[in-house]
Amino acid sequence: MPDHVPDLPLGDTKYIPPVRKADWLMRIGVAIVTLVIFLAIFGPHIGPYDPTRTTIRIAVPPPGLTEIPGLVAGWFGGTLDHPPHWMGTDANGYDIFSRVIAAPRTDLKIALLANILSLSVGVFFGLIAGYWRNWATELLIRVSDVLQSFPVFILAMVLVALAGRSATNIIIALAFVYTPIYLRLTRAEVMGQTARGFVEAARAMGNSELSIALRHVLPNSLTPALIQSSVTIGFAILLTAGLSFVGAGVRPPTPEWGLMISTGANQIVLGEWWPSVFPGLAISLTVFGFAVLGNALERRYEQG
Amino acid sequence: MLLRYIIRRMLIGVIQLFCLVIAIFFLIRLLPADPVSRLVGLNSSPEGYAQAARQLGLDRPLLEQLGIYLGLFPDVAPGLLQGSMGVSWATGSSIGSEIATFLPVTLQLITLAFILAFIVSIPVGMLGALNPGKAVDKGVFVYSLFAGSQPEFWWGLLFVYVFYFQLGIAPAPLGQLSPMTMPPDPVTGFMLIDTLIAGDPSKFFEALHHLMMPVITLAFILSGPIIKMVRQNMLRALQSDFVLYANLIGLPRKRVARYALRAAMGPSMTLIGILYGFMLSGAVLVESVFSLGGIGQYAIRSVLAFDYPAIQGVVLVITAISLVVYLLLDLIHAAIEPRIAY
Repeated sequence: MPDHVPDLPLGDTKYIPPVRKADWLMRIGVAIVTLVIFLAIFGPHIGPYDPTRTTIRIAVPPPGLTEIPGLVAGWFGGTLDHPPHWMGTDANGYDIFSRVIAAPRTDLKIALLANILSLSVGVFFGLIAGYWRNWATELLIRVSDVLQSFPVFILAMVLVALAGRSATNIIIALAFVYTPIYLRLTRAEVMGQTARGFVEAARAMGNSELSIALRHVLPNSLTPALIQSSVTIGFAILLTAGLSFVGAGVRPPTPEWGLMISTGANQIVLGEWWPSVFPGLAISLTVFGFAVLGNALERRYEQG
Repeated sequence: MLLRYIIRRMLIGVIQLFCLVIAIFFLIRLLPADPVSRLVGLNSSPEGYAQAARQLGLDRPLLEQLGIYLGLFPDVAPGLLQGSMGVSWATGSSIGSEIATFLPVTLQLITLAFILAFIVSIPVGMLGALNPGKAVDKGVFVYSLFAGSQPEFWWGLLFVYVFYFQLGIAPAPLGQLSPMTMPPDPVTGFMLIDTLIAGDPSKFFEALHHLMMPVITLAFILSGPIIKMVRQNMLRALQSDFVLYANLIGLPRKRVARYALRAAMGPSMTLIGILYGFMLSGAVLVESVFSLGGIGQYAIRSVLAFDYPAIQGVVLVITAISLVVYLLLDLIHAAIEPRIAY
């Protein structure tokens, strides 16, 4: 090849998003999300110990890999005096495994309800602000902008700490933080839809404005907000855990991943890694799962 | 023209800050918290309670409190108009000077984290974009999704366990310097600069050593969205006409990639601004893992103590800095992108 010919043109290689081929990625996301939902329903009941009761065994490390076969055999054979602590126990004597699998009940419930609340409120106001454009809806957008310019974590912390550290208040605080995102997203989508032919057609058919907005524009404008939900739920779990970590989240002994990490944080410099590492791993995988799922849905949507 | 644009943006920023101040003022007071009993204890006498409420100014009508905070009654107490953010209820010292000591710690931390994240992310993102659809690209893509969705405080703890406890190459997570070291005179508040001013290279390296892990933790989290952004903008730039032209006239691949990168960086500026503003409060958790004593930890302290003026001050300062960063990045954007004129 003569060297004045470029080896491979950079520009005209049309980019093909790795959708089909990377579908294994979406499967991982679906698998993780399904597991988390399963644990949110059954988690608190299937663990070997009560997640909110301490045992007399304090700071027991998890069994080594070589001990596991013996423990499993003993467990099924009924020769153990107590069920094994698969992930050890923390400084208070809680069984970490039982708490890790019980925590999705807390974390997912908060994240899911916060998302539903912010999605409903955000979509509602987004539809109004996008469909009827006047000074009142303009004001609405400005208010939402001011809310959005708050530092997220500090705002959530202020709301929860001052209103009281309960799951309900965390849900409201998170919904408060995420509503502006849905409002903007829906408004932009609605504004795009109102210019399209079917709206004109519906109007020509004699539909009222309200019915056009609710029955024609709204269903066509929901997809971006629904896709955003997967991402929002993931980040809401992160935020819930972060709030617990700084002492502005749910109260002990509620099984919650961030709270568990926080309990173990003082011991980790002394080498007791297990009270923090296992719940953190759970958060890490869960949020990744929701992010992957959200991303896969987004790519599907963009491809049509 | 440019000056007029800057002035206009600053004016809008001031209005936005004003709305924010009002919003946070009422928001805090709407919530059912009782800062007085937090301060004097639950079993104080009614007289003691009333006296404390009077001292904090909470016995005055709400609008009068707002007026005092804004500085409309300078004879009662100086307010925002007089350049004062009030006095902390918890410590009794001026909030402005408290924030001035805590803020540089955070700015130093996140600025270094941003620089590190960029050094890592640009080549990685380009690597993905230049090999679209290949295994490398998928790897880059999955990494960016993963890093962007991680609990940073947990990674901080994990790094502490591995690099401090197991390997012993990182210092204990106990602050900006080891507890036995005398900190240098706070001239700028930035530990790295202050140690240099004090002419003490050993302390400079000690501070750098202590910053190592928190910076790496934050840079890891930041690298997720930054790689994603570099990759996406690069892909878009690679499909544009000027790249096609550059390829057609036979420019070397490297040169074309450099042109495309330049075009890709422009639209990235907005996201960087948003990320930087986000990090000002997002660094809270990493600061508290490593006990750095930044504005985030100050915010935690103020919130848990129901220290209203301090909360208001933190929110105001963080938002003001974000707005300034947005403006600066828009100006930089205009500088690299000649098509944008103000």
